[in-house]
Amino acid sequence: MTGQAGWRLATGEHRDIMAEKTILLVEDNADDEALTMRSLRKANIANEVVVARDGAEALEYLYGEGKYAGRDVTQMPTLVLLDLKLPRVDGIDVLTRMRQDLRTRYIPVVVLTSSSEDEDMVRSYQSGANSYVRKPVAFSDFASAVHQLGLYWLLLNQTPYSK
Amino acid sequence: MKPLIGLRSVRHKMFAVVLLTSLTALVVTGVSVALYDLRTYRVASENDLRTQAELIGRASIPALQFDDVQLARSNLALLSVRPVITAAALYNAKGSLYAHYVRKGLDADRIPPLPEAEGIRFGDGHIKIFQRIVDNKEIVGSLYLQAEYGLAERLLNYIGILLAVGGVALLAALLLSSWLQVRVTQPILAIAALARDVVKRRDYTLRATKSTEDEIGDMVDAFNGMLTEIGRRTEALETSNRNLEREISERRSAERALRDSERRYRTLVATLTSVAWNANRSGEFVSAQPSWTAYTGQTDEECRGTGWRRAFWPGDRQALERLWSAAIATKQAIDYETRLMHGPSGYYRVVSLRALPVLDADGEVREWVGTVTDIDDRRRVEGEIHRLNAELERRVQERTAQLQEANRELEAFSFSVSHDLRAPLRAIDGFSQALMEDLENKVDEQASAYLTRIRSATLRMGQLIEDLLNLSRISRLEMQRIAVDVSGMARQVLNELKSREPERAVDVSVWEGVLVEGDPRLLRVVLENLLGNAWKFTSKTPEPRIEFGVMREAERTVLFVRDNGAGFDMAYAGKLFGAFQRLHGTNEFPGTGIGLATVQRIVHRHGGRIWCHAQPGKGAVFYFTLGTEATAAPASDNDAAEGAREARSGS
Repeated sequence: MTGQAGWRLATGEHRDIMAEKTILLVEDNADDEALTMRSLRKANIANEVVVARDGAEALEYLYGEGKYAGRDVTQMPTLVLLDLKLPRVDGIDVLTRMRQDLRTRYIPVVVLTSSSEDEDMVRSYQSGANSYVRKPVAFSDFASAVHQLGLYWLLLNQTPYSK
Repeated sequence: MKPLIGLRSVRHKMFAVVLLTSLTALVVTGVSVALYDLRTYRVASENDLRTQAELIGRASIPALQFDDVQLARSNLALLSVRPVITAAALYNAKGSLYAHYVRKGLDADRIPPLPEAEGIRFGDGHIKIFQRIVDNKEIVGSLYLQAEYGLAERLLNYIGILLAVGGVALLAALLLSSWLQVRVTQPILAIAALARDVVKRRDYTLRATKSTEDEIGDMVDAFNGMLTEIGRRTEALETSNRNLEREISERRSAERALRDSERRYRTLVATLTSVAWNANRSGEFVSAQPSWTAYTGQTDEECRGTGWRRAFWPGDRQALERLWSAAIATKQAIDYETRLMHGPSGYYRVVSLRALPVLDADGEVREWVGTVTDIDDRRRVEGEIHRLNAELERRVQERTAQLQEANRELEAFSFSVSHDLRAPLRAIDGFSQALMEDLENKVDEQASAYLTRIRSATLRMGQLIEDLLNLSRISRLEMQRIAVDVSGMARQVLNELKSREPERAVDVSVWEGVLVEGDPRLLRVVLENLLGNAWKFTSKTPEPRIEFGVMREAERTVLFVRDNGAGFDMAYAGKLFGAFQRLHGTNEFPGTGIGLATVQRIVHRHGGRIWCHAQPGKGAVFYFTLGTEATAAPASDNDAAEGAREARSGS
């Protein structure tokens, strides 16, 4: 539901910079999506959030294909929050595709998943994830994690695309 | 003569020689003289009587011619001067007694009435003569004279003389022999006595005394020399005998050893093999082979020569014969597995045929000896074992495949649980909180409390899932064994616990330098659980104390975690290590009941054992081993443990 995009950072100086930075949230679970959105909002992260419901949709968005045909693909998201267990194309495959494509190779990808399996973590990093964050069951912990993620990846982190 | 027994002595022999010699000489001389004298006496008597008869006959012729009786008588009476003549008679030509004479005191009946034939006659101790009286070639009459003839008397005299002389000679012989004895036999007897002594005492150092310089002296010298020589020889002989005896005894013991060894060997062969056989250099049976015939059921005739080969399975015979020919040609031993007829059962059985060539000094084959060992049962068992092994191998592979499949399924399941079971919980918790936040002042207290309960239930569910996933991960994890500093690890875990609840003051004691072999990730889980429990169950204790240490118990190194917390009733200790088993209410002490199950699984995976001691209200001690030897640097017994306790890592 891309329509839900459009939150803005409420507080002053970084407004413009932040506003240009789109977040791609790849999440098939509507509950998790809503909770993530709430957490972002609570953390005062007002960036536009594009939500893809599965891996295929995420790829379509990134490369302007399918339902996103005609999208300006020069405008890439600043951060991708990627779940691993996804219908159709799973998270690792999305990650692999992104790292193979020059246009998306350096976009920070944070794997945000329920899995605490070591194997998932290892595979994620092998495939080029920048970070691996477990979604805690406790919502307060989850909210705190999302808050910190936003601050770090959206404010502190620099990428070749930032300029 | 002396009795024979007396002749055994030289002295007696000597005496006998002297006596016999003198007696023989005496008797021969005496008899010769006597015979000569008797013969002379007889001739003299005859001549004398004949002369007498001639004289009287001539003197009587005139008396007869002139028939003068008186004259005839006086002529005859003249005979009285010859007392030897006992009677005389004169017969005329007609043969009738003419005149006669009888010596005084004798009867006239001695006169024969008629003249007999001319001649001399002996008899009745008398000598008689009839003589014709011839004058001018005309027989004028005949004369008869009878005289005494003392031959027997003379003979008796001679015998008497002989006996007397014999007695004297005997006496002389005795004296002579005693003299000879002193001179001759005494040294010989001394040598003989010495010789007896030497023989009796076996003392060859005795020596005879030389008393004369004659042959006996030489003999003494020779005897002494001989004794020396005998002594030397005897000594040499005895030495040689001793050597011989030693050799004999050595040989006996060697023979005994050989017999023992042979018996052992035979027993061994009998034990190890069913059949022992021997064949000549061409591989032919030439003697009876009792064990062969007993096994194969062949008769002695059937197996003789090369007949024994027919007891083998026909299919093996050709190969066997080739093998034999090669072995005979090259003098090489044979060890061949083949099938041999077993007479008693009537089946061919697998046997191990062994044959060894016995070589002579020239390296030529003298004979072949060998054994046949029945290995049919062994082969059958081996085959069975082989089959069972293969079967087992196949099953193991099957099971392994099943296990791998199960593991894959479990992994997929865990992955799914990890993702899918948590998400709804997160949603429940998240939206509950969202509700609480959004409706902060619009819900009543009870609704708010319900929301809180929902959230805490959700979190518990999340923890359960977490613990279950851990438990399953522990089982699936590839284990490594490296040296782990568990002391350091325990300190870290306790520090984390402390940082989580900094307000708690716990007296913590960790023994330094406890090293074990194990998987560091799994051991950390063990310590996290045990120390976490200790931390948790001392939360209501006034002066909480937690100790981690090590002790030696019957060659094992036992690690332990001790606390003085809530403890528990040992009656329930058995349930403690099962998953989801709890001895305390969750409202009293939080927990899922999976921790100790996880600990136990890890300890078991290390090949160790875990057990505990506890008392309600007094605390609990959990002991565990890790299968391998732990190296506890500071403490190897309880006394040292007391000392090590001083090293406290803070409170």
